[in-house]
Amino acid sequence: MQCREFKEIADSYLSNELTIETNHGIIAHLEQCADCRQDLKARRELRGKLREAFIKAPENQLQSEFADRLSTQLHEYSLGKRGAPLVSPRRWQSSMTRKQRTWLALAACLLLAMGLGLVMVRKRLVTPKAPGEIAVSKPKPNDSPEVNPEIPISIVRTELAKSAVGDHRDCAIKFRLAEKPIDLEVAGQKYDPVYINLTKAVLSQQGAAPLDAQFVEAHSCVFEGRRFAHIVLKYHGQVVSFLVTDFEPTKGVQPESVRRSADPQVITCSQFDGYKVSCFETAHHAVFIVSDLPEGDNLALARALAPSVFAHITRTENLT
Amino acid sequence: MFGSASKSESLSDSAVRWAAFETEAMPHVSSLFRVALWLTRDRAEAEDLLQETLMEALSSFHRFAQGTNCRAWLVSILYHMQSKRRRTAARLHLVSDAEERIAETTAFEPSTPQNVTDEEVLGALERLPRTFQEVVILADIEEMSYKEIASALEVPVGTVMSRISRGRKLLRTELASYANTHGFGRSTQHRISEKESLREP
Repeated sequence: MQCREFKEIADSYLSNELTIETNHGIIAHLEQCADCRQDLKARRELRGKLREAFIKAPENQLQSEFADRLSTQLHEYSLGKRGAPLVSPRRWQSSMTRKQRTWLALAACLLLAMGLGLVMVRKRLVTPKAPGEIAVSKPKPNDSPEVNPEIPISIVRTELAKSAVGDHRDCAIKFRLAEKPIDLEVAGQKYDPVYINLTKAVLSQQGAAPLDAQFVEAHSCVFEGRRFAHIVLKYHGQVVSFLVTDFEPTKGVQPESVRRSADPQVITCSQFDGYKVSCFETAHHAVFIVSDLPEGDNLALARALAPSVFAHITRTENLT
Repeated sequence: MFGSASKSESLSDSAVRWAAFETEAMPHVSSLFRVALWLTRDRAEAEDLLQETLMEALSSFHRFAQGTNCRAWLVSILYHMQSKRRRTAARLHLVSDAEERIAETTAFEPSTPQNVTDEEVLGALERLPRTFQEVVILADIEEMSYKEIASALEVPVGTVMSRISRGRKLLRTELASYANTHGFGRSTQHRISEKESLREP
């Protein structure tokens, strides 16, 4: 090995990145060459000095007070609590560029305009324009879902029901979801405000599910790209999944497999993959009750849950 | 996790997850902060980035493969979070500048200066193009492997190897150049005797 060749790979030798054969070549060269031994020693010292200086530099030190607060906040976050944010709104604001602030202002104006437009459209729907014209009344927040035979509402897509069944099977029965479920309240803050306090809406005032069903767990999970609020219950010894997901009604079509139940409050989807599915909708969300129960039991549970859940979701939708 | 029989078991799962995270990830907070500070060049922004990184890491801790390098995994998340914050072409521009500069310097292999001070070595690092600073910091200071750096920066391993080699050489060149101008890089005794000779009438 020549000195020039050694200098090319000396750093890699120090990092132990070379093959055994090349290392042997270097060692043999170093035994004969004092200059290269000196150069290797200098490189080793320089690397040590660089590391030590960088790590010890006062400006590179994390303040212990910040580290302690960060640790506490992460601990609370892991338990599903939301501690006080370390990032102050002022700092967040100051860290934005002027361009970002301009875009944010424009986006806010656009949202405001859309909101005003929506209010006007709703007002037009509620107020009769002419004598004899029938106005479609806006549902009150506490209304339960209704099926009016005159109005084609409650369009439930087959795909959604299939996703709900898939989620029930892979998450509640076989525990094989690709993505780990997250805390429902955390998901509510992050993805959909309807998830917040949804568990309370499912459980009665006494903290128990209706019809003596047992509460097992509440979380948010994703099945094939679709996020659900997932509350797991046990009823008559069977695992029951209560699932809520948002949907875009304009894209929906009435599937053949969906039929209205005798109960005006609930629409049932007969079966997918052997599972019983009952479902109802709000303006922006579809709610599914999936289980292995007989259809009557599944439907009874759905009927029992529907009023408080519908009221909770509708109230949240109206607020957002 | 899912399938547990009660809410209290779910809470104990969270406690177990936190305990594992605290053991595996939290010891690397100082190291992560140094990289975050280098990336942002601003203490407040570095703290924000660190916080976001750790929250993201905690949320997806189930994806961390036990037995692998947790610090490298965290650095990858940190880079991902930073790229989400700033999607600009600035880095590409820097690469281009650096490559041009390197083309002029790689032919020269300087001798390695000795007896350098902390300030001198940090000053030389600071004068490197950011692309090369980055890999030198990750490889020689944070001691990440080529593969781990390639994963964090989302570049091929060959590119990392090339940048590290050039970055180290550039660092020596900077120090050698500084030594020629300011007189360090030789033995301390040599410098003292030189100063003494200058004092003589």
